[in-house]
Amino acid sequence: MITATGLTKRYGSTVAVDGLTFEVKPGIVTGFLGPNGAGKTTSMRLILGLDKATEGTVTVNGHSYRDKRAPMQEIGALIDPSAVHGGRSAYSHLLWQAQSGGLPRHRVDEVLESVGLTDVAGKKVGGFSLGMHQRLGIASALLGDPPVLLFDEPVNGLDPEGIQWVRSLMRRFADEGRTVFISSHMMSEMEQTADHVLVIGRGRLVADLPMDEFMQRSAHSHVKIVSLRAHDLIPHLEANGALVTNGTVNELTVTGLDAPAIGAIAFEQGIPLNELSLQRASLETAFMELTHDSVEFRADRGPARDVAFA
Amino acid sequence: MSVTTASTIGLTSRNVDPGFGALLQSEWTKLRSLRSTWIMVSLAIGLSIGFSALIALTSGLTHDSWNDDVRAAFDPVLTTNSGSLFGCILLIVLGVTAVTSEYSSRMVRTTFIVNPRRYQVFAAKAMVVGLLGLVITAISIPGMFLVSQPIFGHYGLETASVTDSATYRILIIIILTQVLNYALIPFSIAWLLRGTASAITVSLGFLWLPWMLGPILPVWVKQNVLRYLPDVATNSLSGITKADTAQYLGQTPAVMVIAIWLTGLLAAAAFVLNRRDV
Repeated sequence: MITATGLTKRYGSTVAVDGLTFEVKPGIVTGFLGPNGAGKTTSMRLILGLDKATEGTVTVNGHSYRDKRAPMQEIGALIDPSAVHGGRSAYSHLLWQAQSGGLPRHRVDEVLESVGLTDVAGKKVGGFSLGMHQRLGIASALLGDPPVLLFDEPVNGLDPEGIQWVRSLMRRFADEGRTVFISSHMMSEMEQTADHVLVIGRGRLVADLPMDEFMQRSAHSHVKIVSLRAHDLIPHLEANGALVTNGTVNELTVTGLDAPAIGAIAFEQGIPLNELSLQRASLETAFMELTHDSVEFRADRGPARDVAFA
Repeated sequence: MSVTTASTIGLTSRNVDPGFGALLQSEWTKLRSLRSTWIMVSLAIGLSIGFSALIALTSGLTHDSWNDDVRAAFDPVLTTNSGSLFGCILLIVLGVTAVTSEYSSRMVRTTFIVNPRRYQVFAAKAMVVGLLGLVITAISIPGMFLVSQPIFGHYGLETASVTDSATYRILIIIILTQVLNYALIPFSIAWLLRGTASAITVSLGFLWLPWMLGPILPVWVKQNVLRYLPDVATNSLSGITKADTAQYLGQTPAVMVIAIWLTGLLAAAAFVLNRRDV
């Protein structure tokens, strides 16, 4: 369980994380979402005791990370898979970590096996591909076989196969009963893996709710109708309080009435329908709307910059 | 999957303090698993012994034409130490890169994620770097001495014996002070500056500028500034700086000067590391 209370981090006048209060509950996958620069990585660094909070506290299983004696057996983290010394072999890279955490040497072989790096264990890390770095980083996180796992943008830069692998791994960790906390700036990543989401924008918590609720609440659903007599239907729908917009000649987009109600109206009026379907806005759109006000660098600053250059 | 869950619980229940020994092992693994470490160790030993042999040979070949001053300056123990120039540079590089390579690769974050007790990590690293430095000087300093004596003897120059207590004492002093000055002071500077180039430059300047500028500085500076610097104090201790010179410091004050600089810099580095974001 990770608990943040009023967590704030300022670098000079820049506020990276602003009064975050949340809980990462045990045994589920919690997605930590936000656009780039929203403060996700800073929050992770604060959780892991790398950075010191300006205000507020964050604890892992009730204790501040820096007070821990053997944190590897409590929480495993992947924050920057490329942060390895290229001259060291994968085996040595994991060995020094295992030793530092007081873990037995056979754990190194076990985690190498579980991420599929056994064959390259003796090879220098400098020659590893992005995907192999990611596997090595995940191996590090698994060394202590911890009940809590924390991953910062684990699919960043991976090929589709790698993304698939990471996703299934996250799901497996959760199924094993571990607490998984994953940050991502891509909503679609979370759609299949997360049970709960924390959305952050400009350092502030924007949403904290179960995934399905998040999907329902943020999906501005509307109903699409295709009918050859679509126009005849409009007044009847509007009379029942619907908002109707025209697509193509035979197509209507309706909000304010659900599909069964629209079907019933069409039936009453004897208007045949070719299509009646619920359209859900993508999560990506919902996410954009949620964080719209909080994106740090907005594209609409463009013209001002042009003027400045002129 | 229940098997894995069971093992999770198993490991968590053994959530015990890994202890300082585990950290020493870990830091040693870091150092020994890099080829560059062994290149530095071999270069430090090989170059210093080789260079001293060369100086011994040139001394032997040219000593007939020496004037009285040069003849008076010849010392069968201290002259053999000339190869230390290389050993010292490599000790500096070793002490600095043991720290800065972690910053440049950003691996330092992993270091403090796997073990967040920064003072202990710092102490373990300092000990491992210090011990490896000691291995280097414990081989290179006697090596330089031993390789030079037969050459001195061959050309009829004065020789010294390692069994002689005065000789023995000087060699031990050099072995120890070189590790402290050239491995551990740069090690502290590296934690403070975090960059390889800057830490090596500052270390070289701090340790050698006084020595290089010494001859042209006024006596007041030598007496009140220079002799309280670690490298100058070391030279008083080993006898390289003679008792009749302005920057000479007595034995006990010299030991204290070295101890204060070393502990001061180590403490400052550890304090800053503990407070700073990594």
